[in-house]
Amino acid sequence: MKVMEENSKLRNVLLVEDSPGDVRLTQEIFHAANRSIQLHVASDGVEAMAFLRRERAHDHAPRPDMILLDLNLPRMDGREVLAQIKENESLKTIPTIILTSSDAEVDIVTSYQLKANCYLSKPVQLDAFEGLVNSINDFWLTKVKLPQQAQSE
Amino acid sequence: MTQSQQPDLGGDTERAHLAAAVDSADDAILSMSLEGSILSWNKAAEKLYGYTAVEVLGKPMSPLVPENRAAEVPRFLDQIKRGQPIDHYETVRVTKDGRHVPVSFTISPIRDADGNVLGASTIASDISVRKDAKTHLAQMEVRYRALLEAAPDAMVVVNQDGEIVLLNVQAEKRFGYRRDELLGQEVKRIIPEGFAERLIADDLRSAKDALAQQIDSGIELNGRRKDGSEFPIEMMLSPLKSAEGTLVTAAIRDITARRMSDARLLEKVKELNRSNEELEQFAYIASHDLQEPLRMVASYTELLSRRYKGKLDSEADEFIAFAVDGASRMHRLIQDLLSYSLVGTKETTLLDASSEDAFQKALGHLRGTIEESGAVMTHDPLPTVLADKVQLIQVFQNLVGNAIKYQNPGVPRVHISAAKDWEENWVFSVQDNGLGIDPQYFDRIFGVFQRLHKRDEFAGTGIGLAICKKIVERHGGSIWVESQPEQGSTFRFALKGSGRKS
Repeated sequence: MKVMEENSKLRNVLLVEDSPGDVRLTQEIFHAANRSIQLHVASDGVEAMAFLRRERAHDHAPRPDMILLDLNLPRMDGREVLAQIKENESLKTIPTIILTSSDAEVDIVTSYQLKANCYLSKPVQLDAFEGLVNSINDFWLTKVKLPQQAQSE
Repeated sequence: MTQSQQPDLGGDTERAHLAAAVDSADDAILSMSLEGSILSWNKAAEKLYGYTAVEVLGKPMSPLVPENRAAEVPRFLDQIKRGQPIDHYETVRVTKDGRHVPVSFTISPIRDADGNVLGASTIASDISVRKDAKTHLAQMEVRYRALLEAAPDAMVVVNQDGEIVLLNVQAEKRFGYRRDELLGQEVKRIIPEGFAERLIADDLRSAKDALAQQIDSGIELNGRRKDGSEFPIEMMLSPLKSAEGTLVTAAIRDITARRMSDARLLEKVKELNRSNEELEQFAYIASHDLQEPLRMVASYTELLSRRYKGKLDSEADEFIAFAVDGASRMHRLIQDLLSYSLVGTKETTLLDASSEDAFQKALGHLRGTIEESGAVMTHDPLPTVLADKVQLIQVFQNLVGNAIKYQNPGVPRVHISAAKDWEENWVFSVQDNGLGIDPQYFDRIFGVFQRLHKRDEFAGTGIGLAICKKIVERHGGSIWVESQPEQGSTFRFALKGSGRKS
């Protein structure tokens, strides 16, 4: 793997999103942007935490290189998920990007206070969404240096 | 002083002094014998009765007494004989020319050295002036009472001790008492608090202050009826100088109805505000939440069109194109509705703002449009105004954007200026050389989603001017247009209360 080009290195991304339409759309666009991205999907906060903690059905789940987190989720919402990730010694180093349809100031502020790595709103237009995904890929999955090993929990 | 020879009333010197004093007195002084004949007569007596001393000395009093009072003289004389004086007796006397004059008598016995009554001295003063004054006062009181009674409000006159000295029929009605039940009673009985306490202060107040208070709104207190029930009153006080000291006239109005309608009005305003807020909130939430499904529709139709264009039949391509176009228009509508409702939900912060700066920022946002159109922008110096700057930028941006957009082929020219109106408000003008607007549409163009052109002529949802109107109105101002088709348009907006120097 080391010898491969950076872009073709397999990247695990956890997408926490409850809307199937959004999941599919995000998959489509990430696939078009970078074929070596493995997009894992959790449809609510509880499932996301189970995936990250490798609980129950997720005992073989990989540690994601990046988390895309929607704020409004059933059962456990994105803010709680974010708080738990950032309180966890091992998980807190994973770049966690808020990707949501809300552009309310209060959501933006809360997210950064809970130590989100960045906050993005979902654009309505497909072109704009593509541009956004390309930026994420270029920056968070290509240029950014991340620790190779997870810190012990 | 002229005197008949008898009887002798004292020593010569003493008599001379007395005579001089009596003669110069203002009151008529005369003396008479116990039989009723006149013995002395001073100058004031001549003046009062019109007879000279020569004409009356030694003669009886009777010509001076009106017939109906003829009995008075013997009665006085009887009393004097018994040594009893008569003090300030008011009666009427007849003058030489037949006039009846009201007079006040003080009659004292004249005694010799042994104390025997020899005659009577009479001091008479003309009280016609005083009588007039009394009549005048009585008339005034009648008028005052008439005024009090005619007043639609309850009127109560109170003295400095807080006692009711006068009241009108309305006061009886309002408070449920008969007049005699209140006269002489403490005003606290009908106005338990706030009135009696004010009386002292009122006496000290200048008439000017008192007047100012009357012109101003009254004092709101509670009145208490005979049955103990209370009701809200409004009271106006005015001091009234009188012989008994300063009295206070209180006009008392029952404001139960006004209180109730005030309360109802307040309730209505609250309701209106609440429903307005709900509406604003609704518009915001609706437009925000509509974005979610729209994003799906827009994204997937776009994806469809990209992936399957030319792979299905030509009709499919056409259908997809309509869906894509519809979704994108809906997106713009929702965006615009959102920005419109945001003007209502966000707080408008009024601060000193440079309108020049706001204008330049708006131009910055429009740079692409301006360059593309080759528009020539000119402006006068623009003032500092009290405004929400972000919103002011938006107004300039929308108006200038429109000025460039609704144009004939050619070079758009847009001029921005500001001038003060007669109320010291700044009126901004955005003038263009564009298409102009038929006056029949002047009102309509400021409505939400109102458009005057077909979509393929000019893009846009028709929200821009509605947003401008809402912003300007939230600033307490107004916006209007002056235009003729093919003559260009001038949009003006006035920012209220922003009359500051540039």
